[in-house]
Amino acid sequence: MTDEIDPKDFEDTARAVVEACAKASDGRARARLLAEAGLFGVIAPEEAGGLGLSLRHAVPVVAAAGSGLLAYPLIEAMVLARALAGVDAAEAGRILSGESLATIAWSGVAEDGLVGHAPLAEEADRILIFRADGGAVLAAASNVVRVEPSSDRWDVDLPSAPVRTDGPVTGIELGAEAVRALRADADLLRAAHILGSASHCLSLAIGHAQGREQFGRPLSSYQVLRHKMSRDALVTETIRNGIARALSAHREDADLVREAAWLNAARSGPAVAENAIQIFGGMGFTWEVPLHRHLRQMRAQGSYGAAADLLERFGQALIASSSNEWYREENHAN
Amino acid sequence: MTIAAAKGILPSAERPGAYAAHARRWLQENLTDRLRTDRAHEPRATLDELKRFEAALYRAGLAGITWPTAYGGHGLTLREHLEANREIGLAPAPNAVNSIGKELVGPIVLAVGDERQKAEFLPAILGMDTIWCQGFSEPGAGSDLAGLRTRVERCADGWRVNGQKIWTSGASKSQRCLLLARTGVPEDRHRGLVLFAVPMDRPGIDVREIRSMDGDRSFCEVFFSDVIVDEADMLGAPDEGWLAATRVLSIERATNRMYRAWRFESELDHLIAACRTDARSLAILQGYARELAQIRVEIEMLKGHVETLVESLLAGEEIGPRGSFPKLYWSESHQRFAQIAFEVVSRFPPTAGQALRDVKARMEAIYLHSRAETIYAGTTEIQLDIIGKRILNLSRAS
Repeated sequence: MTDEIDPKDFEDTARAVVEACAKASDGRARARLLAEAGLFGVIAPEEAGGLGLSLRHAVPVVAAAGSGLLAYPLIEAMVLARALAGVDAAEAGRILSGESLATIAWSGVAEDGLVGHAPLAEEADRILIFRADGGAVLAAASNVVRVEPSSDRWDVDLPSAPVRTDGPVTGIELGAEAVRALRADADLLRAAHILGSASHCLSLAIGHAQGREQFGRPLSSYQVLRHKMSRDALVTETIRNGIARALSAHREDADLVREAAWLNAARSGPAVAENAIQIFGGMGFTWEVPLHRHLRQMRAQGSYGAAADLLERFGQALIASSSNEWYREENHAN
Repeated sequence: MTIAAAKGILPSAERPGAYAAHARRWLQENLTDRLRTDRAHEPRATLDELKRFEAALYRAGLAGITWPTAYGGHGLTLREHLEANREIGLAPAPNAVNSIGKELVGPIVLAVGDERQKAEFLPAILGMDTIWCQGFSEPGAGSDLAGLRTRVERCADGWRVNGQKIWTSGASKSQRCLLLARTGVPEDRHRGLVLFAVPMDRPGIDVREIRSMDGDRSFCEVFFSDVIVDEADMLGAPDEGWLAATRVLSIERATNRMYRAWRFESELDHLIAACRTDARSLAILQGYARELAQIRVEIEMLKGHVETLVESLLAGEEIGPRGSFPKLYWSESHQRFAQIAFEVVSRFPPTAGQALRDVKARMEAIYLHSRAETIYAGTTEIQLDIIGKRILNLSRAS
């Protein structure tokens, strides 16, 4: 398979599967639906049973998951299947087939004894846990690695749980380089997830503003609300273009461009849900209207990708290493 | 043979980055201290020096890149234009004196001009022999351009113009004005609008400079009292010319001053480099690390908007209202940067050295000038209206 396949071809499939997943009883049932459609394997190598496509093709799939509030750690399954393919093809295969429900504990390291931010850990068979040396280990959810009863219901659709590690954690190991690549893939997919979620919130807001009348006029006839939605269109378009830019091949500045795309999505996406809640008025603040679920999942992705920490590091690196040959310090007359 | 070919510069499709490398080299050799915008302590370059630099930029293959070779252009694509503009942006180069000519008039003349007009106007723009100004806005027609009142009527010698234009940047140094006027009455709104290439030395034209809040005198008012213009200087027929021009304008909104994202980056780079020359200033700057990170992210996003539109245009797609996205994003992000930068430089100690004094002067000027950026070329509010109406299809009806 090659990149000649149009990424858009995946969009309809992904939407339909995500819709079906909403009716499934649990994570395992969703894993089967997603696996049958081949969605776990979009970016996994063909040798391991994946489609061997680029991240570009995974973007619409993950965006559909964000848009449809998919209750499954899809990003985690995708990046794990790709990272494990060269290390343990059988393990990658079990994730691809939906047999193994795998997730990642995004915060903390094994040495701390407690790691967190592991979406759907309560149902998981395998949990990737990072280590202080930059590597990671794929642990079986067993006595050694205990998933604590989740107290964190922040993300209503995809709750995460803390994971306790008693003693040394064993399992398939990933080196620091593989972990870096996995995190890089995850950052871009998280941006796509937020894009899907934010775009859906904007379309809900537009639908409401066109249909709801106040003072005898549709809300959309008020310029202040039209402008709010125009700004949100700018936000979603900016996230989309940022992702597209990060995906364009052979960039010298790939790390910077990817980090910027992720930071932008994490920092600007949630505001689209916040604005949609405002446009919905009192209804927007109710549990039934799904805007809060989008807001929650976008904020959760922001935490998994440690956007706030990254922004700080990004700023420090900018000040320490900004290099434009026109402003070399020695050129300045002091 | 194009200049690029003569100089052995390969188009980007054959060797990506070659055009950028050429641009970088040329700028290093030709952007003198007097022309640099980061050297406040140097005497300012004169208009003649700026014009000579801009003409040289063209001769080096770095302006008129996409224009046909028959009219003095380099016959290349937006890809080379983008490569060159990245490098021009990253350098502390002066803004173009003839940007109205190159980015507005040229594309309109190419779209609606006749052979004589193309052959006469286009090479003179690139060679800096004719500087153009834009006579669109009027005291009673700013954002609502279709409300303009300046009238043209047929007379024995051609057409007679009466009316007033305002915010006509650079009118006092221009040789021609791209005039938008109407043949009928203001109630006709979009109907009966006509474009003329008016020579600025015609009797009856009175130019008055307006001092802007940044101290500059580039803004002008232009009064037309029974000014006679030749039929031959009409661009397209009445109605036709304006309709074709608006299509061109939507592309121009997306592509003009393409270097802006990279110039923005360059300004941030300058601020950081200057602060690094002094421990106290560096400490001040470090207190703004998160804000600067956010700005740097936005600069990358702006590049994403520009590059996406360039790819669309190269693929032959319509840009339409999407040109509003980069305009809106850039102008507001740049204002936020200018506010932060102003605050940083306002905290420099009195003992600050030359590098800090230079960057302080530049950032203060940027801060003041940035206030115009959400007003000109379609205000923020107009851009938001365009997005709401033409992209989101939001109904305005009661």
